[in-house]
Amino acid sequence: MAFFRNKRNLYPLIAIASALLIMVFGLVMARTVVCSYFLLGALVWVILFGCYKQALKALPLFIVFGGVFALIAYFSSGKNFDSALAMANRFGAVFLAIVPSMSIQAVAMTRNLSQLHTPRGITLGMLITMSFIPVLRAEIKRVREAMKTRGAGSILNPKIFYRAFLIPLVTRLVDISDTLALSIETRGFTLGKSKYTVYKKEAINYMDVLYILGLIAGIVLAVVL
Amino acid sequence: MTVREKAILELVRLSEEEQRIADIIEQEEAASGNKKNKVFQKYMIKDIVFLAIITCCTLVTGAIMPLLVNVPLFGIIQLGLGIQFSLFPVIGMMKVKKPFALLLQSMFISIFLVFMFPPMVLLIACALVAELLTLLIFRGYKNDWACVFAGTLYMPLTLPLLYMYYNVFYTVSGEEKAAVSMFIGGGNVGLTVGISFAVIAVCFVGSVIGMVIARELKKAGKLK
Repeated sequence: MAFFRNKRNLYPLIAIASALLIMVFGLVMARTVVCSYFLLGALVWVILFGCYKQALKALPLFIVFGGVFALIAYFSSGKNFDSALAMANRFGAVFLAIVPSMSIQAVAMTRNLSQLHTPRGITLGMLITMSFIPVLRAEIKRVREAMKTRGAGSILNPKIFYRAFLIPLVTRLVDISDTLALSIETRGFTLGKSKYTVYKKEAINYMDVLYILGLIAGIVLAVVL
Repeated sequence: MTVREKAILELVRLSEEEQRIADIIEQEEAASGNKKNKVFQKYMIKDIVFLAIITCCTLVTGAIMPLLVNVPLFGIIQLGLGIQFSLFPVIGMMKVKKPFALLLQSMFISIFLVFMFPPMVLLIACALVAELLTLLIFRGYKNDWACVFAGTLYMPLTLPLLYMYYNVFYTVSGEEKAAVSMFIGGGNVGLTVGISFAVIAVCFVGSVIGMVIARELKKAGKLK
């Protein structure tokens, strides 16, 4: 499936740029039919460059939410098809922009930013924010299981939510944060101006250039035609 | 006890020892009246880590943003995300009581906002404005209400950006603006003002909840 895939993900900054291109163009041109064709072409393009798993994850969400909102726009505008199309295009642009972004690995992004001499505090923060999501999900699950075990009651009750869910979760996060900070310090990480090297450098290759040029060409074609 | 557990215990002891020494130095400085009342303090790794983790909470709970951006109601994003974008940042600021904690949080989250809704990246500018105002009024984050103030201002400051968005994108989109106005109330000034106040109220409530949580954790000895 990944016909053009070059055994690695897209260059992180190229992936961000492409997401921006798709979203901004999609939102500005949402009213036109050409935009729908562009989004379809862009979907095929990102799939060809190895983002098919991400596209498969985003597609059902787009169908559900885009469909619902397109229907709302259709009926609220007196059964105007253009309104529905514009709404579907907007959702299409947003969900398609998420596809290349999902292909970015946290560590690749950090390496990329480190190569660009971004302050270490910021790269470290971004890395933790990006890679902490599964841990957070697991913690939420644990707290909810603990609530069930104790028979704390419904999470929809604000008092129970606060006392039995929010407080234990934040307490746990504070503990994790302390341990993680210690762990980082013991690995010799500093925030000072000490010199550092990037173990595995991220580099743009011709496939990244081809990918972004393809998208730009698509936009130009959509505007000209 | 395994070797790994022993090592972890040693590390925790070392950290506690360092904290104790720092506390003693601080007490001595306070007693001798030499304490430098610095507004700007250096960030430690533990500060960055905590801010990043709390930003992750903001991000996860704010994941509904891609859906909200397409609902053409002025201020819907701020109304939907006001609680999350004030509660967690306030907890972050209450632990890391250093200037620009809010700015750092907005920087950490900005990379994700690019994909969700590019105009929201300007949240960084909003954080900067909120921080500067807080520093001007409260001279730092020693007072808990300074955190609440910054947290309350943070999200509502994005309202003008969103006003621009709806007026630019939806005007560019043209014809269907009339259709859209059927369920957003169009350019109704009363609605705009009302929603703006509602956003501020929601953010204030979120900030106060954040402060209450942080105070409770402090009492329990968790937030040092």
